[in-house]
Amino acid sequence: MSLLPTALKRLSYCFLLAALIHLQAPAASAQWIHVTLAGTPRTPDGKPNLAAPVPTAPDGKPDLSGLWQVDSGKYLQNLAGEGVQVPLLPWAAAVYKGRQSDSGKDRPSVHCMPHGVPDAMLVYPFKIVQTPGEVIVLEEEFNQYRQILTDGRALPQDPEPAWFGYSVGKWEGDTLVVEVAGFKEGSWLDDGGYPHTDALHITERLHRLTFGTMEMNITIDDPKAYSKPWQAAPIHFKLLPDSDLIEHLCENEQDLQHLQGGH
Amino acid sequence: MKTRCIVILLAIGFFLTAPPAPAHHAFAAEYDVDKPIKLTGSVTKIDWRNPHAWFYIDVKDENGKITNWGFELPTPNTLMRAGWTRNSMKIGDMVIVEGTRSKDGTANANAKTVTLSDTGKKLFDTATATIAPE
Repeated sequence: MSLLPTALKRLSYCFLLAALIHLQAPAASAQWIHVTLAGTPRTPDGKPNLAAPVPTAPDGKPDLSGLWQVDSGKYLQNLAGEGVQVPLLPWAAAVYKGRQSDSGKDRPSVHCMPHGVPDAMLVYPFKIVQTPGEVIVLEEEFNQYRQILTDGRALPQDPEPAWFGYSVGKWEGDTLVVEVAGFKEGSWLDDGGYPHTDALHITERLHRLTFGTMEMNITIDDPKAYSKPWQAAPIHFKLLPDSDLIEHLCENEQDLQHLQGGH
Repeated sequence: MKTRCIVILLAIGFFLTAPPAPAHHAFAAEYDVDKPIKLTGSVTKIDWRNPHAWFYIDVKDENGKITNWGFELPTPNTLMRAGWTRNSMKIGDMVIVEGTRSKDGTANANAKTVTLSDTGKKLFDTATATIAPE
């Protein structure tokens, strides 16, 4: 007796039920975790087509707008990538080693300070809203935002140091090249604890590959902490289609009192 | 048939859509992986707030003494995207919790699974809510 036809029948029933639940979900959802977004390319069954081509903004540039998240937690743990030797200056190497041996217990986020650049984009979802003169990045963690100004302005001279720095962007073909500088000290480049100083200058190259995928290549240049500029491991983002940000505030921080450090 | 479908679909759905785990703190700085814990108790409080959801249970020992234990879950944002809500667990629910003990010796742990002890229904399983460990 073959069980396969029965199994297939059951699976077909399951998927029919799934389709019905999916169609029901936007109306039933209490918040916008599941919401049908207009302008989303779809396959014949109504699902978002993540392999569709990159949408185009009114000015003809690739449109990076959407809700995105990294495809892995590995970038946040180690921005440089597995086994990569980062050219830390001796004082920075000592700081990094201390943070590693302490399991990162003094990470800024336990004090409810947000992740900075780039690592605020390396864990929680973020929404890009692309407009002609600026690309707005809404970071879910701690309800933060970044502005990438694309209106032709230069980075500010002698700026007030900022946790997220100041970002300006311009298009090179289909890639948005973002220069970030004017940092204040204190943020960590990743959860592993790569340090930086106020001399930090970051270049982020954002390239949307398909409707559902985007990659980012980062160069870290901080001559007061690193002997030369270095490349982060290439970062991959997935689109979270038909969904939205959820508010996130650091309103009940309970870990700080329990942190012990060590391994 | 319908219940089995839902179980199958939930299992597939969680596995496919689980996002990476946000880690606002270093797990190893707070919890000891060599100190797993499994406790049964009744839910006294649920704190569905960021950066981590917490819930508390009264655990009775063999002498009838009650200790209130606190358990940390991932951010409600991750839990909601995995299909749970602030109403998934109720005050008074009798639950079995598997977790990792806090290093500082207090009655706290990081929860891995939460199961209703009456029905065996799994309320939370952080393995399906997260890709990377906290």
